[in-house]
Amino acid sequence: MTATIQQQLFEIIAKQAKIDVATIRPESTLKDLGIASLEAIEMIFDIEEHFNINFPDQQGANFDTDTAQSLVDAVQKALDDKAAAGEGSK
Amino acid sequence: MPTVSTRRVVITGMGAISPLGVGAAALWQGLREGRSAIGPLRHVDAGRLRVKVAAQVPESFDPAAHIDERTLPLLDRTSEFALHAAREAVAQSGVDFAGNGLGQRTAVIVGTGVGGETTQDEQSRRLYAENAPRAHPLTIVRLMTNASASQISIAYGLHGPTYAVASACASANHAIIQAAQMIRYGMADAAVTGGTEACLTYGALRAWEAMRVLADDTCRPFSVNRRGLVLGEGTGIFVLESLEHARARGATILAELAGTGMSADASDIVMPSAEGAAAAMQQALQEAELNPGDVDYINAHGTGTQANDVTETRAIRLAFGAHADRLAVSSTKSMHGHALGASGALELVAAIGALRDNVVPPTANLDKADPACDLDYVPNTAREMPVRAVLSNSFAFGGLNAVLALKRAP
Repeated sequence: MTATIQQQLFEIIAKQAKIDVATIRPESTLKDLGIASLEAIEMIFDIEEHFNINFPDQQGANFDTDTAQSLVDAVQKALDDKAAAGEGSK
Repeated sequence: MPTVSTRRVVITGMGAISPLGVGAAALWQGLREGRSAIGPLRHVDAGRLRVKVAAQVPESFDPAAHIDERTLPLLDRTSEFALHAAREAVAQSGVDFAGNGLGQRTAVIVGTGVGGETTQDEQSRRLYAENAPRAHPLTIVRLMTNASASQISIAYGLHGPTYAVASACASANHAIIQAAQMIRYGMADAAVTGGTEACLTYGALRAWEAMRVLADDTCRPFSVNRRGLVLGEGTGIFVLESLEHARARGATILAELAGTGMSADASDIVMPSAEGAAAAMQQALQEAELNPGDVDYINAHGTGTQANDVTETRAIRLAFGAHADRLAVSSTKSMHGHALGASGALELVAAIGALRDNVVPPTANLDKADPACDLDYVPNTAREMPVRAVLSNSFAFGGLNAVLALKRAP
């Protein structure tokens, strides 16, 4: 059975934060999970690589206040956009 | 402790190549007019890149028109810029390096963040993408980070200490400080110094994209709607001399490089520290024998990133106390972009211009100040006002701070 987007994403977060995946809640912020700015950028890269998507630039957004659920939503949106465009990620 | 006799250091020549054009005058004129040179990225791979805007040297700059055909094949774009700007600076200073053995007593210290990136990128593409069996034989002499310093030394017969200084976005200021200290402490009578950068390659642009610090519209330092920095390129090169040397030959002095400050945050590899930046500003004031109230203008590092602009504002408050509210502070990166290892050199042209013309260049694109950025940033229009002394800030990834303090020509 294929893991859900949430399961796959939480695994990536857990690896970056070096924590047990079971401790991650959808409402956890990256700050709660102890992920600082540069680690957040690295994790975004891991997520983009894993799902073969591009996140829009987030300058102006604050990675500290991003929640795990907001990342799940962002991945879902990027996958939907990619499917709608009918082409692979550039 | 033994006392060390020190000498005053002055600037007698400047040259620049910037997104605002060829020559220091073109750069200063553009900044005075509040003209931004940020535009759509011109790049052969622009269609594939997410970077949309940059501040690039105009396509009209033709190195072949300025540099002899035997030297040209030896040069990366960084060195093309540097050699041409050095010629402008040396010509303005009127200095004769051949006379009185001055060439033996002249240092060449040039800052660059990454050196010959264009060369590196081209050769990597040949080898990895095109499976070329060999690299170009001049690859090494083009890409080595000291190439610009060495080419200037060769062009003018300068035999003093010559090397590159690398400290990412503070490279130019660190180089200029190193050159000034050599003159101050008697290791050289003159120096050719500054910074040069030209690294808008596919590889480097991709790397910057991944850091997620690039604005997709324009550079809006200190503005609440700022979205990051805009990459630039260019060169500023200066002739420095001891005051006595400049006076003895009757040189026109542009400004006194009166003080310098350097520090390391020793905390985070990218997040800046207000305390580290403030320490460098305080050192520069102290060496220049300036009180905070003597300074009228600060050319800020002002990258337009979320982190820098708030932290730099706090640092200025830490260093200047109540006088911070009477300072004019502007980021000219809003117009010439962030030339990384050359940025301090482009900004020194702005600092000298402000001192000489009593005009503070503006912060362009400042729509609405961030509440956390509460200084006078001279929004959008230059300001005529007396400028007695100036600080020019450069802060780098790696937590490195380098600050110049300038006074009017004595």
